[in-house]
Amino acid sequence: MSARASDTSLMEFNPLRRLGFVPKAIVITLLVVWLLVQLYPVVFLFITSFKSDPQVLNAPFALPDPLRLDNYTRVWEGDRTNQSYLIYFRNSVVTTVGSLALLLVTSALAGYALARGKFPGSAAAQQIFLLSLAVPVHVLLIPMYFFLGELGLRNNLFGMILVYATMGLPFTIILMRSYFLSFPHELEEAALIDGCSRFGAFVRIVLPVSRGALASMAIINISWVWSELFFALAMLGRLEVRTLPIAIASYKPTSMATDSVVGDQFAIMSLTILPLILFYFVFQKQIRRGMTTGAIK
Amino acid sequence: MASSQQSLETAAPRPFARPQPSVRARAKRWLQKNAMWYLFLAPALLMLFAFMAIPLFKSLELSFYQWNGLRPREYVGLENFTDLVEDRFFWGALQHTIVFAVFATLGTVGIGLLLAVAISRRVLGSGIFRIAFYLPVMLPMTVTAALWVRIYETNYGLLNTLLREIGLGAFAQQWIATPQTALGSIIAVAVWQYSGFPMVVLLAAIENIPNDLHEAATLDGVSEFQRLRFITVPLIRPVLISISVIQVIFSLKVFDLVWVMTKGGPGESSSVLGTYLYRKAFELQDYGYASAVAVTMFLIIFTVTYTYYRLMKIEAVEY
Repeated sequence: MSARASDTSLMEFNPLRRLGFVPKAIVITLLVVWLLVQLYPVVFLFITSFKSDPQVLNAPFALPDPLRLDNYTRVWEGDRTNQSYLIYFRNSVVTTVGSLALLLVTSALAGYALARGKFPGSAAAQQIFLLSLAVPVHVLLIPMYFFLGELGLRNNLFGMILVYATMGLPFTIILMRSYFLSFPHELEEAALIDGCSRFGAFVRIVLPVSRGALASMAIINISWVWSELFFALAMLGRLEVRTLPIAIASYKPTSMATDSVVGDQFAIMSLTILPLILFYFVFQKQIRRGMTTGAIK
Repeated sequence: MASSQQSLETAAPRPFARPQPSVRARAKRWLQKNAMWYLFLAPALLMLFAFMAIPLFKSLELSFYQWNGLRPREYVGLENFTDLVEDRFFWGALQHTIVFAVFATLGTVGIGLLLAVAISRRVLGSGIFRIAFYLPVMLPMTVTAALWVRIYETNYGLLNTLLREIGLGAFAQQWIATPQTALGSIIAVAVWQYSGFPMVVLLAAIENIPNDLHEAATLDGVSEFQRLRFITVPLIRPVLISISVIQVIFSLKVFDLVWVMTKGGPGESSSVLGTYLYRKAFELQDYGYASAVAVTMFLIIFTVTYTYYRLMKIEAVEY
């Protein structure tokens, strides 16, 4: 060990890079094995979505032969038992976009007030958001079910948007506040001196400069909203308002006569994760950074 | 700005006597100074009030009633909670939740740490590993669960087929269809899906360790393993602890995985608090009792989470 270290020139010394051949081979082998374990099921998911059920059952590892798009066309068009995938997809998009929009607007406003405002009650407000961060949302399910029913917002995507935006608020507000704390005062003060109101300065100066921060808030929140099942399952009973996670969790085979029960479900699942995977590949650095920030802080 | 201008104007007619502002004027100024901030906070506070605070208290209230959602509810005092204490299925669900939290956390953080250390050594293709290992974290749990139902399927499932093909057919079993293996199989899926999360967090921490430390240690003849044990792990220990607590809190809330894979079965062998609450409320319409389960769940998770936030001093975060 010491012999190996001493014959390295100090200039290019990087101990993190230095591994003997055997340990390096072991590390790489283990990483590759885990890579297979992690990726194969996802690949299997896509492959299976192109297969008929006999193929799925008899040759689970084989590539689809022949490659069939039937599952996708069936899922796309829908049938008696299952709505067209398009409706679930639309519901999920509406819910996700709506929740994120409401969440970003409300938490940017609140985060800004907490970071800038020295007003009576600002510490209390901060404390309220911190406390609500620790509330497990499961406890809210039953009262919310009846409350949304009274408001006429059960089986309603707007009701879901309100619920999701609220669930995301505490966390997003805390992050927005820390962002605005590090935001330079000078920019807004110039605007304020020029006669801009606080709100005007916020909308015209602060928000445009904070696009990046708002985008990372959206990135942090998008995948849980897209995937949420616990509340959606209880609140969205009617077929035409269901979101994708409900469609997957309560997928019902049309009849035993069709040859593709598994295939259809896997086609819906593939279409559900495709946007997320594309999104991940585009934003993977920001996503992982956002998650690290969110987790540790 | 506006307020000071106004007060100058009102003071103009009496240049020498400084006017004492009336209570109304003072209130007006106070409001002008602060009202904007309350308006900024209002939407968020209103939403939290309507959709979090009120439901929270309603949930507590409902746990003292017996109610099927249709007939008028009936006040039963603490009966729901005394029933809970004698309900062995509730204790089972609580026990499964804790087992799930402990093993899912050990699994994800343990594997995450190994992966982070391995990748930090910048072996071949570390960029690809970094991207690939986080990918399953992005998937909806519902999709993961439905996918693994197919993998665990007894007769034609991927796992048993694989075991038979490599000559380990003796190990093939009804993974999620027998009480002995159901919970363990679900935990394995959680570990499969979420190891990437601690990995990313720990990797960031490991890469923050100054290289000088490793350099000095290596020059002093410290081995790989010793560096891991005496440099890396101690230095990332705060992060290791917080990621573990985060995983525990997250796992205590598990619902989707269990619901889609087994609905808590077979029997009640894999039920957790989330699924037990759901079954009681929406399958058995026993809303009062389900609320008692919810309140218990709230007390456990809120205590753990809030203690953690206090210890971490989360209000001092830096973005």
